[in-house]
Amino acid sequence: MVGSLLWARGLKKQFSSGNEPVSVLQDLSLQLEPGQSLALTGRSGSGKSTLLNILCGLERPDAGSVGVLGETFDTRNPEALKKAEARWGNLRRQQIGVVFQEANLMPALSLLDNVRLRARLAGQDEQDCQDWLERLGIGELANRYPDQVSGGQRQRAALAMVFAMKPALILADEPTGSLDRQTAESVIEQLFELQARHGCGLILATHDPDLASRCNRHLDLGHLPVP
Amino acid sequence: MTLLAALFSHYRRHPLQLLALAAMIVLATMLWTGVHHLTSQARASLEQSESAVAERQQVRRTDGKQVTVEDFVELRRGGLCVMPWLEVASPETGRVVGVDPLAAGCFGSTDQDDEPWRGELDGRPFVDISEAAELARGKTGELSLLVSDSDSAGVLPAGYRLAPFRVGPDTGELGDSFLLNLDALGVLVLLITALLVRSVYLLGLAQRRDSFALLHRFGVGPGRINRLLVAEILLLALVCIVPGIWFGRWLATGLGGGFGRALEGLFDQPLYAGQDGGWLVPLAIMLAVVLVACLADLLRPMARRLFGNGRRYGGFPVLVLVFGVALSIWAPGLAWLFVAVAIVFVAAGTLAPILISRLADGRARADSNPLARWRHRELSVLARRLALPLVALQFAMAMVLAVQALVTTFESTFDRWLGQRLEADFYIEIPETVDPGPALEWLSEQPELAASGMWHRVARGEATLVKTSGETGPAVDVFALGPVGPLVTGWQLFESTDEPWRALQQGKGMMVNEQLARRQDVTVGQTLTVTLGGEELNFPVLAIYPDYGRPAGEILLNVSVLPPEFVRGFQSLSVSPGDLSMEAVTHQLKALWQVEELTVRDNRAIEDLASAIFDQTFLLTRAMTALTLILAAVALLMMGWVFFSTRAWYFRLLMVWGLSRRQASAQLIRLAVSLSSIIALLALPLGVWLTWVLVHRINPLAFGWSLPMAVYPGFWLELGVLSLLIGLSIALLMSRQLKSPKSAPVNANAPAGGER
Repeated sequence: MVGSLLWARGLKKQFSSGNEPVSVLQDLSLQLEPGQSLALTGRSGSGKSTLLNILCGLERPDAGSVGVLGETFDTRNPEALKKAEARWGNLRRQQIGVVFQEANLMPALSLLDNVRLRARLAGQDEQDCQDWLERLGIGELANRYPDQVSGGQRQRAALAMVFAMKPALILADEPTGSLDRQTAESVIEQLFELQARHGCGLILATHDPDLASRCNRHLDLGHLPVP
Repeated sequence: MTLLAALFSHYRRHPLQLLALAAMIVLATMLWTGVHHLTSQARASLEQSESAVAERQQVRRTDGKQVTVEDFVELRRGGLCVMPWLEVASPETGRVVGVDPLAAGCFGSTDQDDEPWRGELDGRPFVDISEAAELARGKTGELSLLVSDSDSAGVLPAGYRLAPFRVGPDTGELGDSFLLNLDALGVLVLLITALLVRSVYLLGLAQRRDSFALLHRFGVGPGRINRLLVAEILLLALVCIVPGIWFGRWLATGLGGGFGRALEGLFDQPLYAGQDGGWLVPLAIMLAVVLVACLADLLRPMARRLFGNGRRYGGFPVLVLVFGVALSIWAPGLAWLFVAVAIVFVAAGTLAPILISRLADGRARADSNPLARWRHRELSVLARRLALPLVALQFAMAMVLAVQALVTTFESTFDRWLGQRLEADFYIEIPETVDPGPALEWLSEQPELAASGMWHRVARGEATLVKTSGETGPAVDVFALGPVGPLVTGWQLFESTDEPWRALQQGKGMMVNEQLARRQDVTVGQTLTVTLGGEELNFPVLAIYPDYGRPAGEILLNVSVLPPEFVRGFQSLSVSPGDLSMEAVTHQLKALWQVEELTVRDNRAIEDLASAIFDQTFLLTRAMTALTLILAAVALLMMGWVFFSTRAWYFRLLMVWGLSRRQASAQLIRLAVSLSSIIALLALPLGVWLTWVLVHRINPLAFGWSLPMAVYPGFWLELGVLSLLIGLSIALLMSRQLKSPKSAPVNANAPAGGER
């Protein structure tokens, strides 16, 4: 695991549905090297989003440990977990870019200001923000607000935000789930191209088998053994 | 499922929203009914007390002796219409008044007000005179002979004179003025609560819009949906208004109990009938308010058809505001003034969210930090989306400011007025037939009084001003006193020459009250000519003194300058005996004047009683405004909670981007506190303006006199702290939503522009 961009060991997560506990993740382990891409697939409710949230510190596993960019988070070490929020915060701020299916932008800010805000939080140069929008083909829309552009353009702006922070790892939760096929292909094309060019890791949650096949590795949460 | 069930299913899924709307209607009704009930009852009480005791005349003996049954018989045999009025002090029942309805027959009038005791004989404190006479055995009883209006201008038999009949001190026009101002505030409470009801209703309506669209697609026409909505709100209003009125009356009765007791103590009558009054007026008014507040949008298409789709100009509310303020300055009558108040409030309420939003947008443009820019833009969105509850809070704060300034001004004015008029501990009436000289000599020889100087004689009468053209000017009251001592030298003077009291003591001038100075444009140093007892005398004006609440012009002179022909309407002594026993003073005065009885009034008791009425009124006024403020704050909190649930995702997004929950909460706190602070700042000029209107415009227009206006920056600071607390409460409550582990947006729909 030394040198890995990301690893996870023995992750467990349960939710309660009514009075019944539901196991979402059961003893899950994975590893990702720099520049690699990993597709997470599985039926709805199989735990794709939960796993992504755990891998970026937005949720805590019930058991197991996660290592990201040299930082280790272990549920067996409660002392370290006390400081975990700040450490995860620093990672998400500077190293981990997260893209959701939608609502990645602040609606009260223009596309350019959204990208600038993300770059500023990551400590990156705000001068490049317009360039990122240009590279993603929406430079002329920089001063528009999210409600004034299409869904595909919003997702491109979300990618611009992620790449403006120059991340080491991108976690994308069904980033094209709400787009039509043509737009989705275009957005995905740009995502893979930029990921390859910048050599960052990518974990992609998707229902689309074609999309999953484009990743270096594939983890189907729906076919994991359920005890 | 029926259409009704489909329509109302929203409230089955959101029972708390229905509860909030119902609670808001109940609370709004309770507050307004409470204020309305109190003011109408208080006004009725004061009117009743005035009609009962203020306008009557009584017959007194000129030798100063107490009138007796023999006097009554003699006067009636002389053809005079008099009625006995026997007051008996009773420790069990307070004071009981015995009247003789048979003797009152000659008062005969169709006007019920002329016989205020009629119909009350079976109740406390009015009883038949025989019953009072029975009670009077072994107790202190005082007989008065009231004279009918028709005889009060006629000639009395020798040995009798007329005197005003009063059983308590007149609170002057301060009471009326205060109640008029309370009425104005009651209307504001109605406006604020209407805004709150509307904001909660619109919130629910916005959430039901999708359901309406679905019903529309299923073929249900908009007219039918609207009719059902009207029926729904009508039903809800009826169900909520009735308990609201009950709660309001309960609140008013609870708060008004002390007020009622104070009134009873002062006027010896159960004047404050807290449970009287109809239900119909509050029911109809609140029903109309709720319907208009909730369904005003249904009227919009009608208004568009009538007035067209007029373009809204950005500067229009500013123009309306300027017009309203100008109208408030130059309004010729009360009705126009109330229109001006309405215009200014509507314009200020329209402008406040626009102003906050534009200021925030301006700061967002000027700020280079994208996070600060985002915060400013969020503030702009909040100001527009929470406009109604924000404006309600602004109005409530302005009202609280105005009420506080008004109440404090009234309180201090009334205290000063009482203090000025009741400076001495005791007041002794000088009988008309006696020569006060020996008594004055005796008083001046008493070492205790000579050392303190705490006594003087007062002679009252009338004079006429002479205009510079030589024409006869207005009549003024004369307030002549001497010797001039510490009982008056502590008076506050608006303007004066050097050592005015010394000059007054030497008879070298006179002082005039504020109202006379204002109306006749009198200045200090000017010489006025007055006709006193048929003589024209010139006096330089030494000072202008405040005479709170008296619309009549008055001049203050040394009693020594009064010509012998001056008709003294009334004479008295004011004495603070200090170490000297008051019993000894009255005993000596009776002996010197050879009278059996003297009218002696304990000024401290009068002051306490009079203060009690105002204190109670102030207390309940403050309680009402505080309740309104709390209601507005809770409504904002509630609306903020619901609205924030639609924005929580964006704060969560900040956490996804690396901000800790504490940092995201800090952004939330800055936003909420900024919003509540700006609203407090915007409420400040509105509150000061409202105070000015109440004190300087409504009073002079309604009563012809004005109170000094004061502002209280210390209270502004308190309100500022309160606004911070409101903002912090909202932020802390909202930040609980950030703890939710949800990492998906609450609203999955694509942004439609309303979010920014």
